[in-house]
Amino acid sequence: MLWQKAWRETRWRFMSALLVLTMMAGSNVFDYLATQRLLPHLTATTETPVAEASGLAGMIREAIELQKDFRGFIWYQAFRQNLTQMGVFFAVLLGCGGLLHESSKGSALFTLSLPVTRKQLLGARAGTGLAQLFAIAMVPPLAIPLLAPSIGQHFTIVDALAHGLCLFFVGAVFFSLASFLSTMFTDIWRPMLIAIGIACALAVVSFAVPPLNIFSVMNGESYFKTGSLPWAGFLTSAVIATALLYSAAETMERRDF
Amino acid sequence: MASDRAVIETAGLWKCYDDVEALRGLDLQVPSGSIFGFLGKNGAGKTTTIKVLLGMSRPTRGEAHVFGHSSAESHSSVEIRRRSAFVSDEKDLYDYMTVGEIVAFTRSFYPRWRGDLEQQYLRKFDLQLSRNIKGLSRGTRTKLAMLLALCRGAELLLLDEPTSGLDPAMAEDMLQALVAHVGREGSTVFFSSHQLSEVEQIADHVAIIDQGQAIVAGALDDLRSQYQRIHLVFENDAPEIKVRAAGTHRVRRQGRVVTILSSSRGDAVIEELRGYKPATFEVSPVTLKDIFLESVRTEA
Repeated sequence: MLWQKAWRETRWRFMSALLVLTMMAGSNVFDYLATQRLLPHLTATTETPVAEASGLAGMIREAIELQKDFRGFIWYQAFRQNLTQMGVFFAVLLGCGGLLHESSKGSALFTLSLPVTRKQLLGARAGTGLAQLFAIAMVPPLAIPLLAPSIGQHFTIVDALAHGLCLFFVGAVFFSLASFLSTMFTDIWRPMLIAIGIACALAVVSFAVPPLNIFSVMNGESYFKTGSLPWAGFLTSAVIATALLYSAAETMERRDF
Repeated sequence: MASDRAVIETAGLWKCYDDVEALRGLDLQVPSGSIFGFLGKNGAGKTTTIKVLLGMSRPTRGEAHVFGHSSAESHSSVEIRRRSAFVSDEKDLYDYMTVGEIVAFTRSFYPRWRGDLEQQYLRKFDLQLSRNIKGLSRGTRTKLAMLLALCRGAELLLLDEPTSGLDPAMAEDMLQALVAHVGREGSTVFFSSHQLSEVEQIADHVAIIDQGQAIVAGALDDLRSQYQRIHLVFENDAPEIKVRAAGTHRVRRQGRVVTILSSSRGDAVIEELRGYKPATFEVSPVTLKDIFLESVRTEA
C-alpha cells in the first residue's frame, strides 16, 4: 500500500511528464518534413566544408549535416535537445517531495505512525518514482518508430529502446538528486530549483570539460555515432544515483518530526 | 486486562531541539489498562513526549520504552507502532484520498484490524466512504482519525489533544466513544490535553508536565485525596513562610493571606503552619484543576 500512496502522490506529475514528452517526440517526427523543405535554403551556411568550419559556424554546420537524414534529425532534435532537457526537468519533478514535504502539510505524523520504517517509506517512493521515470524515458522514444511510417520514414525500435535507456540512467541521477535534496527542505520548490541549477551548472561545465559531459550519456551520442551503448556512463550514473538515494535514506533516518 | 505492568516507561528523558529543551529528564510510568491523562500547558512537552514514544523523534538522552521496546531504535519502534494507534493534534490525513481509500490503506498495515468496529464507527460517526478527505470539516476529520485509530486492534492508544477544535457536544460524543471502546477492548489510553474537565471525566491516572518534567503523577483518586489546600489568614501582613515538612508544593503569599498546596496528607505540614499563629486556618480539598494550576503556575 505504500506503493499506492507514492503513486497517488505523484501520478499527475508522471502523467503530465508522459504526455508532454510523448507529444514532443511525436512533434519532432512531424517536424522532419518541414525541416527538409528548409534545408536547401541554407546554402550560405552549408557552403563552408564541415572540416573548415569552427566555433558557432561549425556547430551550425554540424547540426545541418546531422539533420539531413531522419535518424540524425531525430537524434539531434529529440534526444540531444528536447527529451534530454525536458527529461531532466521531469526527473527532478518526480524526485521532489516525500515525507518532509508531507510534514509541511501535516499528514507526516499519520504516515510516521504506521508500522513501517522510514527506509521502507523512502524505498516505496523511490521505487515508484524510478518506475515512472523508466516509463517516461521509454514511452516517448517508442512513439518515434510508431509515428515515423506516417511520414514515410523508418526508425528502429532497438534505437528507441537504446535511447530510452540512456535517458533513464542519467535521469535517475537527477531524480535521486532531487530525492536527496527533498530530505533537507520541506517545500518542493527549493529542491527543484537547486537540482535544476546543478543540471545547468553541469551543462556549462560539460562545454569546458567534455569528459564530464553527463548529457552526452543521456542523449546517447555514442550510440548514435558508433552504435555502442555508454556502459561506463550507465554504471557511473547508477553508482551516483544509488549513493544519493542512500544518503537520502540516512538523512531521513536521523531526522526528527 | 489491567495489570501493574507499565506499558510506557520513560526515565530521565531529554529532548533538545537546537537550543530549546523540550523535555528535561521526564520520568513517566503508564500502567497497562489505564486511561492516562497527560496534562500540561502549551509547549510543556506533551506532543514531544508522544513523538519520542512513537519513534518520530529521537531522545537526546534518557530512555523511553513502550511494551518494553526502546522507541529510539528503528526496528523496535516499528513494533511499538504495530501495537499502537496514534491520533495527532491536527488530525491531518491524506487530502487526495477518500474516506474509503484511507480506511483501506490503513487497514492494510494492521492484521488485527477490526472490520466489525469499522462498520460500527462508520455508522456511529456518520462517515461516508465516498467523501473526499479534503472536503471534510475538522470535526468529521477528527471522527475519521479516531476511527482509523480505534479499528487497528491496538493495545495502546496515543491521542494528542483528541478533542481539540471540536464543539462541546462533539467532544463529549468522542469521549464517550473512547471510554466505551476502552471498556470493551481493554486498551491502554495515553492522551494529552489541556482540557482539565475531560481528563477528570475519563482518566484514572494523570501526569502533569511542566517545562519538560513530570511534576505530578499518579492515580487520579490518590491525587485528589493526597492534595489539600491550606489557607492561612493573618491579622497583619503575612510573614514569609518556609515549610520544612515534606510534601509542600507551593506557597503563595498575598498581603495577609498565605495559600499553600500540600501534597501530603500527614499532619506535619499543618502542625508546622500552626506555629506561625495565623488568625484563621482552613484546610480544603482540591480539584484536578487546582492541582494543575498550582503546579504549573509561574510566580509573578
